[in-house]
Amino acid sequence: MWKYLLIGSLALVIGCSDQQDHQSPDLAVLMVWAHAGQAAERKVLEQQVKRFNSLQTEIQVQLTFIPEQSYNAQVQAAAVAGELPDMLEFDGPFLYNYVWQGHLEPLDKLLSAKLQEELLPSIQKQGHYLGKFYAVGTFDSGLGLYARRSALKDSGVQIPSGPDNAWTDDEFATVLAALASRDPDGRVLDLKLNYSGEWFTYAFSPLLQSAGGDLIDRNDYQSAEGVLNSPQSVRAMKALQHWFTRGYIDSNVDDAAFVSGRVALSWAGHWEYSRYAEALGSDLALLPLPDLGKGSRTGQGSWVWGITKHSKNPQAVVRLLEFLLQPNEVLVMAAANGAVPATRTAIARSPLYGDKEPLQLFTRQLQGGFSVPRPQTPAYPVITSAFQQAFIDIRNGGDIQNALDKAAAEIDQDIRDNKGYPQVD
Amino acid sequence: MRQPLLDSRNFTAAFMSAPALVGLLLFVAVPFLFAVALSFTNLRLGSPLPLEWMGFEQYRRIFSDPSFVRALLNNLVFVVVVVPLQTVLALVLALLLNRRFYGTTWFRTLFFMPVVFPLSLVAVVWVLIFAPGPNGMMNAFLDLVSLGSWTPRDFLHDPYFALPAIMLTSIWQGTGFQMVILLAGLQAVPAELYEAAAIDGAGRRQQFWHITLPQLRNTLIFVVLVTTILAFRLFDQVQIMTQGGPYDASTTVMFETVEAAFARQQVARGAAMTVILFLVVLLITWLQRRVARQEREVT
Amino acid sequence: MTHRLFVPMIYLCLLLFGLLFISPIGFMLAGSLKPDARVLVEAGDWRAFWPAGVTLDNYRDVFARVDFARYLLNSLFINGMIVGAGLLVNSLAGYAFARLLWRGRELLFGLVLAVMIIPLEAIAVPLFYMVSLVGWRDTYLVQILPFIANAFSVYLFYTYFIGLPRELEEAARIDGAGVLRTYFSIILPNAKPVFATVAILTFLSQWGAFLWPLMVTSSETVRPLPLAIATFHSLPPLQWGDILAFGVMMVLPILVVFLLFQRWFVRGVAHTGIKG
Repeated sequence: MWKYLLIGSLALVIGCSDQQDHQSPDLAVLMVWAHAGQAAERKVLEQQVKRFNSLQTEIQVQLTFIPEQSYNAQVQAAAVAGELPDMLEFDGPFLYNYVWQGHLEPLDKLLSAKLQEELLPSIQKQGHYLGKFYAVGTFDSGLGLYARRSALKDSGVQIPSGPDNAWTDDEFATVLAALASRDPDGRVLDLKLNYSGEWFTYAFSPLLQSAGGDLIDRNDYQSAEGVLNSPQSVRAMKALQHWFTRGYIDSNVDDAAFVSGRVALSWAGHWEYSRYAEALGSDLALLPLPDLGKGSRTGQGSWVWGITKHSKNPQAVVRLLEFLLQPNEVLVMAAANGAVPATRTAIARSPLYGDKEPLQLFTRQLQGGFSVPRPQTPAYPVITSAFQQAFIDIRNGGDIQNALDKAAAEIDQDIRDNKGYPQVD
Repeated sequence: MRQPLLDSRNFTAAFMSAPALVGLLLFVAVPFLFAVALSFTNLRLGSPLPLEWMGFEQYRRIFSDPSFVRALLNNLVFVVVVVPLQTVLALVLALLLNRRFYGTTWFRTLFFMPVVFPLSLVAVVWVLIFAPGPNGMMNAFLDLVSLGSWTPRDFLHDPYFALPAIMLTSIWQGTGFQMVILLAGLQAVPAELYEAAAIDGAGRRQQFWHITLPQLRNTLIFVVLVTTILAFRLFDQVQIMTQGGPYDASTTVMFETVEAAFARQQVARGAAMTVILFLVVLLITWLQRRVARQEREVT
Repeated sequence: MTHRLFVPMIYLCLLLFGLLFISPIGFMLAGSLKPDARVLVEAGDWRAFWPAGVTLDNYRDVFARVDFARYLLNSLFINGMIVGAGLLVNSLAGYAFARLLWRGRELLFGLVLAVMIIPLEAIAVPLFYMVSLVGWRDTYLVQILPFIANAFSVYLFYTYFIGLPRELEEAARIDGAGVLRTYFSIILPNAKPVFATVAILTFLSQWGAFLWPLMVTSSETVRPLPLAIATFHSLPPLQWGDILAFGVMMVLPILVVFLLFQRWFVRGVAHTGIKG
């Protein structure tokens, strides 16, 4: 008797989990995965999906938010199971790995040529791999130093006017020292240490490039040895570690170091703009990252949308993509997360990114060659994982050469294990 | 062991034990054999390249990987520190509570409360307790008890404090469980033994060493075994509190395994690590059984 | 040691330990009732435990930010199924091993004991691969089925049943009752403590399940609470008050259940193989 109950209830569970498959045939149900990012961003996306669903009757979109921390692992797991959604959001540099694994459908013929031309060059470039276009973002990212203008003035330091005259390493050290001397706990710089994972690569690999180093040799993407652990890269990480050892960095456990006024500088992305602007008003300044010798360098690339091979209805997904890329929708998202709008029309209409507007630095960085895309290779997941580990060791005061040697060796081992990531069809 | 009832109806027995046996076979034995097999390959999640036989290469690699060796070492340190500390603490609490006076139930409940906290929640709350700076609760507490001579630390990012911080959370969460089991063991000790000892003029201390401890022996062995095995499975707190850092100071075998298999998609490498984990647990179980048997022969 | 001071000494010790044990809980409770900004600022002194100006905003936020009820129901359902089905399946096997004579018994019981020391963690990776291949990812089933059969539970039932007086069953057999009927009508009513113990042990070990659901689930429709708190923790903006409120809500129902059944548990432990 108990046994039948058990079997019955198990059958019930299995039945429940299968239910979604039985939908009416003329209604296309699209599964969409997005990362659980900033609250405002999530809310806008939810509303956009709701709008899309109510605008037409043939397509219903089901949106699932996946935590950012384990996003790639989730995608991989679903791929093994053959359960990728129709439309997948992912962090830009993971594109090359996903293409190599054969998960993505090219967009060249699906997305209209007009719309493709509308996109920012940085987004076009990031979405292309081996001659095909695979993913499109509705915004690009911006990374810079948010500053409390009044604190800088009090300390008597010069404020850079743009990416071409960013503070040098020495100037930045002087700025930090000057700020620290007037700060009760001496902690004046917020590096968003409360984040984890991809943030470390996104935010701090530009330092390598600014010093003349890099994550990997970009000629053939076959080796990190001699690049990631080059003297230039070591010098960049030394500068970073120096800020830690001098006690300039706030650990930002509450994610309020900058808005509560504890620090005068915050190394952060576009997504903090609205919160910071609200807290500081006109006292907020946006500055380029320091220049370690080869000019200021910054991050680029953001979360993008791709259509998976798993999708039975790519045409329907394209309609959703086109909807999300309409100027109005792009602007709604940009207004919520402060990101650089992805289309030229939207940028022209943006209240934040035009000439003389507060976030103009981000557009200048993207268009003036100051931003560096993360390595366009299927090895990226391992590159970023290795660099993150090295960053953590370095921030905690570990030996820099050691940490970078270890990371480079791990990356090279992975590339060898995958036979250099040959293209497989 | 007593003779079971004579019943030769094989079918009934098979019917009764089949669900459990099939479950154990499908979900424990087969995956384990699968893990052993995978560990000799180069399987990577999602890779379009063909699968290759690697022999012992994965094992050679993980043992030449300083992070994995450190992880094993951390697990060992964790066991060597936490198991005795937690057991002694639980025993002390159980002894204190093993008498009838007002409030014992309250205290027992209190010490048991952390047990119902999922480890992931424990980890999140303790991240806050270990907050750096003089305002952090742990820093403030240490400042108080050291009469102001404590310099605030960032525990979870300090190579000397990250692992101890995790240990503390484990002890906080796990002691209550051990205590309840030891308490049950204490209450099963026949009262006549103590009465006889009291008549012979044995003091409290003597009673503890000559009656309580020997009577608790099996309970203690059980408790130590379970805590040891749990210690080798340490993962949740590491994942949430320190991510294994700084420089592997708090990494564990399970953390390295999950990192390899998921963050880096190296399933075969992860499988090799889990095989090592199994061997270690096997060794410990075997050692502990031997120790237990020897003691039995002695007493 | 004088007798007069003995009890006060014990109280003092207990109080001291009690304070250490309860302070994280007090901190969590108090923090969940204050505005986010004050949680960390006030963590360094007595105000950490005192929510001046109580507000329920954090609790409201939790409900607004995540579907808490859904996670709770998921957890309750998954654990209920594991415990319920596990009790039946494992006790039947334990009984067959303890009381029936059948071919292969010794060998199979030896295998059960061997399987007992394989931790879930040691098989998580291949098990994950297996369930992914059969398409069980992201379901309730994948969080329940692998955990029903449990070697340790079988072992606990075995040790308990083997200690029961055989006269119980002999009477039933003389009346002509079959094995299964004997089991359900005679053994079950006499084995409440071991059922209580196994139920609670299973529940405790599964309630906090984190690693496995992290690997096999992705949508919140099937995710359990422990994942929710970790996700919530990493979901910007970081609001400690909300996180603590989430924690309180997550642990409160279980705490109440345990306060009610604590006595059962202690009694059960005292009657099973655990205590030696």
